[in-house]
Amino acid sequence: TAALTAGLERIPDQLGYLVISEDGVLASAGELENDEHTAGVMMEMVRTASRFRLPGSTDPPFKRMSILEDFVYTVTVSGQKVFVVKRQNNQQEPISV
Amino acid sequence: MGCCYSSENETTEQDPDERKPLIPHPNPVSKPPNGTDWITTNVPSARTDEQALLTSILHKTAQNIIDVSAADSVMMEQHEYMDKARQYSTKLAVLSNSLPQKKALALPSLTSQPHQVLASDLVPYSDVQQVSKIAAYAYSAISQIKVDAKEELVVQFAIP
Repeated sequence: TAALTAGLERIPDQLGYLVISEDGVLASAGELENDEHTAGVMMEMVRTASRFRLPGSTDPPFKRMSILEDFVYTVTVSGQKVFVVKRQNNQQEPISV
Repeated sequence: MGCCYSSENETTEQDPDERKPLIPHPNPVSKPPNGTDWITTNVPSARTDEQALLTSILHKTAQNIIDVSAADSVMMEQHEYMDKARQYSTKLAVLSNSLPQKKALALPSLTSQPHQVLASDLVPYSDVQQVSKIAAYAYSAISQIKVDAKEELVVQFAIP
């Protein structure tokens, strides 16, 4: 799993990550270390989102799913594994007067 | 059985009681809602065409109407209800065991370079703001959908 996670460690502003397979969490670190609950929720969200299809297309119409809170979860799937990275959200909300 | 994925041709070992509705039809054809007898009783064979026609109309109407006012009187006893509930859940448990476990859909492959995809720039704030605005509009539009009641769901028949 070292090859899987080496790249994740280098992602800018990352606060933690998860690598999940059908059987469970393969790797985790930072704020998401051993976070089985988040892993379960992410898995469910990916499954739901990947059922969407645009007319005439057989592949899911996205590469990455972003979940925005005060921070951002970025999620993608590759080789039957779900990758979740928690990143800082540095974009400042414009102050409305 | 009318549920999803059930096959319609499993007619073996049918319990006759299984198809009995929980709430029996409140006004079987032989008994009109208002308690009077149908004119079919003791009508001699020389009944006129007009009477026959009237009877058939009455029969048809009675079959098409659910008399909610009569439903109270045919309520089941508590224990009968419990028996039914138990019977149905046992049946369901047996059926669901025999269903093949639907395998969870295999995960799609969204990319061959996960690290690159995850490390790329975040969604711009203006995009997020726009999507939130559209979602708010849609929510507001949906919440304004109303049922416009045109006529009574239950009608009173003016039976003298």
